Amino acid sequence: MNEKISSVLKQVEKPGRYSGGEYGAVIKDKSQVKARFAFAFPDTYEIGMSNLGMRILYGVLNQDPNIWCERVFCPWVDMQEKMRQLDIPLWAHESGDPVRDFDILGFTLGYEMCYTNVLRMLMLAGIPLRAADRSDADPIVIGGGACAYNPEPVADFFDCFSIGEGEDNLVEFTNLYIRMKEEGRYSRAAFLHEAAATIQGIYVPALYEVSYHEDGTISSIQKKHDDIPDRVQKCIMQDMDQAYYPDQLVMPYIEAVHDRIMLEVYRGCIRGCRFCQAGMIYRPVREKTPELLNKQARCLYDNSGYEEISLMSLSISDYTQLEPLTRSLLEWTDRNMVSLSLPSLRVDSFNKELMERIASVRTSSLTFAPEAGTQRLRDVINKNVTEEDLLHAANVAFAGGKTNVKLYFMSGLPTETLEDLEGIATLAKSVVHAYYQNPDRPKGRSPQVTISVSCFIPKPFTPFQWEAQDTMEMLKEKQEYLGSKVTDRKVRYTHHNAKVSRIEAVLARGNRKLCAALELAAKEGFQFDAWDEFFDYDKWISVFERTGVDPAFFANRAFGLDEILPWDIIDCGVTKEFFKREREKAYAAATTPNCREQCSGCGANRLGGLRTPCPSCHKGEK
Amino acid sequence: MKDNEKRFTLPMLESPRTMRIKFRKVGNLQYISHLDLQRTFNRVLVRAGLPLWYTKGFNPHIKMVFGMPLPVGSESECEMLDVRVEREMSDEEMLQRLNAELTDELRALEIYPAQRKFSEIAFAEYDYTIHTQGVDATLVDAIASAFVTRPLTVTRRTKSGEKEVDLLDFVHRIAVSFADGDICIHAILAAGEGNYLNPELLITALKQRFGILSGDPTKEHYRILRRRVLLADGETEFR
Repeated sequence: MNEKISSVLKQVEKPGRYSGGEYGAVIKDKSQVKARFAFAFPDTYEIGMSNLGMRILYGVLNQDPNIWCERVFCPWVDMQEKMRQLDIPLWAHESGDPVRDFDILGFTLGYEMCYTNVLRMLMLAGIPLRAADRSDADPIVIGGGACAYNPEPVADFFDCFSIGEGEDNLVEFTNLYIRMKEEGRYSRAAFLHEAAATIQGIYVPALYEVSYHEDGTISSIQKKHDDIPDRVQKCIMQDMDQAYYPDQLVMPYIEAVHDRIMLEVYRGCIRGCRFCQAGMIYRPVREKTPELLNKQARCLYDNSGYEEISLMSLSISDYTQLEPLTRSLLEWTDRNMVSLSLPSLRVDSFNKELMERIASVRTSSLTFAPEAGTQRLRDVINKNVTEEDLLHAANVAFAGGKTNVKLYFMSGLPTETLEDLEGIATLAKSVVHAYYQNPDRPKGRSPQVTISVSCFIPKPFTPFQWEAQDTMEMLKEKQEYLGSKVTDRKVRYTHHNAKVSRIEAVLARGNRKLCAALELAAKEGFQFDAWDEFFDYDKWISVFERTGVDPAFFANRAFGLDEILPWDIIDCGVTKEFFKREREKAYAAATTPNCREQCSGCGANRLGGLRTPCPSCHKGEK
Repeated sequence: MKDNEKRFTLPMLESPRTMRIKFRKVGNLQYISHLDLQRTFNRVLVRAGLPLWYTKGFNPHIKMVFGMPLPVGSESECEMLDVRVEREMSDEEMLQRLNAELTDELRALEIYPAQRKFSEIAFAEYDYTIHTQGVDATLVDAIASAFVTRPLTVTRRTKSGEKEVDLLDFVHRIAVSFADGDICIHAILAAGEGNYLNPELLITALKQRFGILSGDPTKEHYRILRRRVLLADGETEFR
């Protein structure tokens, strides 16, 4: 490690964030590799080390002998202070070498509120913020992850984006870089152009011209070259059994937020909840086989020593092979004192057998997400669970010795009325009531039902993408109204900060005009906006004012159905026509069957995919 | 593929046996706290496939007992960890399995059935290397004489507030030398239960008395290395 960095470790908080040397970290001889890839997570080490995407892409890039991929995290403010004093530029975790000397710098963009950290990290690295200001000597800056589906608010800061699943695409991208360097025909512009033209999922914002109407909406998105796609289609892994999955993890010494084996069971979601971006952008559903999963889990256990395996997916009970998978896992996990956890359980699937199999029996609480307080509104959002489902699940939990149930809801959903909000309080009350009615409840203990209410954010690539977010005043009023309806002392009520949700909506739905605001925010020292102690709403509003951005234009305006949306440049597989149909059905409070029951023609199956439940994919198959 | 299932085929011991692991914790690993080290060892022991004994309660877990605390920022060649095993596996195989799961900065040096109790530990031997600006023979002499002139008061922060102690109450033996521009201190300090000196406090004392080590950390720095753990006679190595 760089001597300057180690010299300050005795003077900063949690030095284990920076000290490195983890078991499983990949160290290569830098003279033997052809490209150095810095994979940056725009938050602290503890959070970054919990990120499954980073674990996968770190492994897949390092599998290539020509590439050395290292991790980069955002140093905490005390370390940043030391870096300024001692003139230490942002470094890569494994080698300690400055990030600005790398060939490629990739950022994973999981949450809009991390954008200011991305810019902060570029500044710490000494890399020009704007792609247009970078020279051939600077690294290529590429972004990916869920937020890259609307990359426009940060388009000016990235040379390019990788849209969709990066396992193959990033390796191909890096190899193109190596090839062009070796052939002596590398220039930043030539490389980006060729990548955009030849690699699926690579979006180079500078190669598209965005024009605007006088009212601020987009009039056109024009490509600047004939050989690049009109719209950038995301990449997917066709066969999840063939997709790379790490067999060796980097083992953090300090505690990561999710410190366990994360076993990715399948991608996509059959459900189609109308507010849920993840449920749309990760389509089509592609499952892994239970045999492979069991093998991967065993291998990860042997190589990590973690005593908890979390089965990861958007809705684990929808995995068609859940029974054989848990059965084969339990054959060895029990004996080895390894526990299983199944997050993302749907209430309509929760039963006694499932509960007995999972580790959460050790804790006294269970979490479910009905999302809305009345059946009408649950139908609007296509949640497809009933009060009966919820009470049944709660009863299973109570009979199994649980006393605490946590319920997630959203407020500000389209068509929401005060009745729907009151429904949240009523539902919570019914759960409390169910507890006392349950003869098998834990004796002598009282229940606690926590309702946690977030603010609805109309996200790109959902049937609600055109919706206006409630104004902050409305969101706050609704929060207070609901608070007044929660009278039961066994019910605890918490809600999200409406101010954060509003800024998040602006950043999620914005266009390129937001780049100026983000640049100013970065220059004024914004960082760690995902952390309560750093987020300052008034400062954000001030930055928007000074850069001519009207936050209401992006957050609180209903977008026109015929309007060109900032993210129309991206093709996520699911079509706009489907979103429009779903929107109509939402207003009619009509539900849509899940993908396994019936194909609703979302369009994602044209991307292909093996082991998918989509009935349309199986036409002609036996 | 590892053979971590092998342990289930080994013969059971009559009762669980406590094995003592002596290990090194140096370099980057000095920044890993005690709690994090516990978590780390839990995983290392599992990965290594040792025939571990688990507690029999509602939430079965491995039993681990560490010899004595090592403050963050100090290194050591002689840390001790006791674990219990329930099946027969040779010491050599256990050592080799452990080291396959460790890095050079955290290395198992020995593993053997524990005999003595950790409460028999009375002292620990340390090497300090201090690199500071403006060091000369006069400063080294001044430091050497401070270590033999009572009191050498140092302010120690505890849970109940600040407290002044005489550092020399905890010093069994100490020698100061000057080599390659560095101040080297060889010290045997109290390390027993109830009478333990955090080795960092010696640095604090020097900082407070001589104002050293307060400048640019790239030019002024120090290293603390725990070398041996000793019994009450101050000479015999604890095993």
